Amino acid sequence: MNAIKRGLRALFLPLESAFEWAFGARLNPVTQLGTLGWFLFWIVTVSGIYVYVFFDTGVTQAWESLERLSRDQWWLGGIMRSLHRYASDALVIVVLLHALREFAMDRMRGNRWFAWVTGVPLIWFLYACGITGYWLVWDQLAQYVAVTTTEWLDTIGIFAEPIARNFLDSERLSGRFFTLMAYIHIAVPLLMLLAMWIHIQRHAHARVNPHRWLGIGTLAALTLLSLVRPAMSQAPANLDAAPFTLGFDWYYLTVYPLLQRMDGRWLWLILVGGSVFMTLLPWLPPLRRTAPARVDLPNCNGCARCFADCPFGAITMVARTDGLKFEQQAAVSDSLCMSCGICVGACPTATPFRRAGDLTPGIELPQRSIARLREQVVSAAATVQGELRVLVFGCAHDAGSAALADGSTAVIAMPCVGMLPPSFLDFILSRKHAEGILISGCAAHDCYERLGDQFTEQRIANERDPNLRGRVSRDRIAVSWNNPSRHASLRDDLARFREHLQAMSGQQAAASGPSAWRPPVAGAPQALRIAGQAVAYAAIAACVGYFATHPPFSYLGKDEALLKLSFSHAGQPLKPCRRYTPEELAKMPFSERRPTSCERGRWPVSVEIDLDGEPLYRGIHEPAGLWNDGPSSAYARFEVPAGRHRIDARLRDGGDPQRFEYQTSKVVDLTPGENFVVDFRATDGGFVFGRAQRDAAQRSGQ
Amino acid sequence: MTLLEWRDDFRIGIEEVDHEHQEMIGLINQLHAALGSERSGERVEAFLGDIFAGISAHFALEEKVMRARHYDGLAEHKADHERLLDDLRDMMDEHAAGAVLDDQAFAARLGEWFGAHFRTQDARLHKFLAR
Repeated sequence: MNAIKRGLRALFLPLESAFEWAFGARLNPVTQLGTLGWFLFWIVTVSGIYVYVFFDTGVTQAWESLERLSRDQWWLGGIMRSLHRYASDALVIVVLLHALREFAMDRMRGNRWFAWVTGVPLIWFLYACGITGYWLVWDQLAQYVAVTTTEWLDTIGIFAEPIARNFLDSERLSGRFFTLMAYIHIAVPLLMLLAMWIHIQRHAHARVNPHRWLGIGTLAALTLLSLVRPAMSQAPANLDAAPFTLGFDWYYLTVYPLLQRMDGRWLWLILVGGSVFMTLLPWLPPLRRTAPARVDLPNCNGCARCFADCPFGAITMVARTDGLKFEQQAAVSDSLCMSCGICVGACPTATPFRRAGDLTPGIELPQRSIARLREQVVSAAATVQGELRVLVFGCAHDAGSAALADGSTAVIAMPCVGMLPPSFLDFILSRKHAEGILISGCAAHDCYERLGDQFTEQRIANERDPNLRGRVSRDRIAVSWNNPSRHASLRDDLARFREHLQAMSGQQAAASGPSAWRPPVAGAPQALRIAGQAVAYAAIAACVGYFATHPPFSYLGKDEALLKLSFSHAGQPLKPCRRYTPEELAKMPFSERRPTSCERGRWPVSVEIDLDGEPLYRGIHEPAGLWNDGPSSAYARFEVPAGRHRIDARLRDGGDPQRFEYQTSKVVDLTPGENFVVDFRATDGGFVFGRAQRDAAQRSGQ
Repeated sequence: MTLLEWRDDFRIGIEEVDHEHQEMIGLINQLHAALGSERSGERVEAFLGDIFAGISAHFALEEKVMRARHYDGLAEHKADHERLLDDLRDMMDEHAAGAVLDDQAFAARLGEWFGAHFRTQDARLHKFLAR
């Protein structure tokens, strides 16, 4: 499992670095896949509502209404329809990458199990939305989706009668079932929205909007794609013919081609089993658990700064329990705490300045006490020498700050740099423990503990309590945010920080900037970076547009036809009914008297189909219902070569194994792509062959 | 002798804030006494550290109360807090640097420091809350 994660990280990290080069940290799409998902969801919702206004939910009018929308109103309706499709496709990419990345970075442990586990059903909802959406267009792809989905659902065996029978052929097409799909296509996204809301509940300050320019860029790219390659329907559905090849949306229908080769039950097992396995991932080894933060009541006055800064909502403010005259105190939920220490960095009593008693702040990590941190700072400072001594605070997920230690650089490791209270920076510089401080953390806006980098910068820049004291020179405090693959960049930042410190010591009174120092971004000119962004948008849009229809999928061989056997027929009762004798009737209460006594239970229905004298199908179908008194039903699909065939069909619905109550033979000419149905209706005298039915209907119509 | 006396008109009407004000006054008086009785650097440093941590926390609580009640003078009041903490840090640095502290002047500075804040900012908050 760890090897998989390492492999995925090796893929993700360079990609993230490349995107950061082009987009900058704030706009980097790879580090805000979740918010991008929300944004795409809203695009799909808005465009979906627009398309729904013009959409006709009747099965015969649906295709035409969409065709009109795309052709007569291409400038808005057509774009909306295309956005609806392409944003949905992009959503699949974003959601899957998001899940994969959180897995690769191991961001599903501890408290995060909640977001991970609630994310799994979201994937199911997403696919349900997409599949029902393709259904509604009622073109050939929709026909394929309808038939394949219902056949697949039938393999679970929860429906009394195969629901695929709703789409058997054009005569038996159920308009009501189709309209039901329209409502499911609205209901599932609503459920999905609810689930999305639950998904982010355990994250404090959860962001649901991407950076504005990233949103604008995404919308622009999708709109351009919609103009260049509008989403169109394929030929209208015709249930009497099976489609040969289909433009295929590989994002939503990925697993469907498997159903050509594989029993649907196996596919259910794989997908459900995979989801269960995915759900269990947060509890699979290697587990790491450090002690949660602890509140020290004598030092807590209930100021709520830790509550405001906890990225995981692990801290609540509760009524005072120790009798002191404060209203509230902080309380840590052990199960929610991730032990990042960001609360310690927020606590006003977490200072390194010597006190009468112990250096115990109102809240701290038992394994990482403030008193020890102070000791580490003082002893680390004592080990470094030279004119420019630099103390580095590195987090557990940075680009290897430990390796920076040398004669004039000391490194202090922390769980997250957000744990460092600003008063430590003041202490180090004012007490001359070092000439400069470098804070090294995760990639900007991608803190492993969610908000450590932002809070650190805001505290230094006087934008967030607790502030760094105004008089402390920000020019002596540098920040360097890098993903773990960018050790060279971190080393380079330290070197440039030293140069900066050197230059400062030359001029005595250097004006201090308002926020932490960072090396000026050198390298690529703005134009090149914008070009890089354009390339990224174009590549993603092209990827979305291409796999939404390509490569085409062959449903049926060129010279094949479909033969479907489907019926619902009640077998004979196990015992014939018998008339009550007058004596029996006399004994029965008046209200329960009836002429005959019928025992429940029916014979199974056995069917045999031969094609050109060779057995094609043999089946015994048990009656439905708890009392085995319902109809037996069957649904089977065969791909057969087109041409002339003799079909022999036999059906037994009674108890005599030597005898078939119904037998029919017929010679048919199957055209390529034909959908030929063998049905059975006892009221029509037995087997009904699709063509005969249609021919009869045509004759009577003439 | 005590440097600062708690007076009822210091009261701003919020129990937890008033409680802490009294605690702060107690601490400052202790420091004053320590300065008067001995010149033990470590002890004075520790008192200063206690006052710094205590006042930082106290200001944090007061700011939370002001925010919760949408106090219109918050920005100004908070700026005064920051100025006071800055001054206190200066005193700590001076002490750490080994400056010979004139205990009377030093204590007077602390006392004035607190008293002025009471008379101006906290009084204004009290008025606002009483409205």
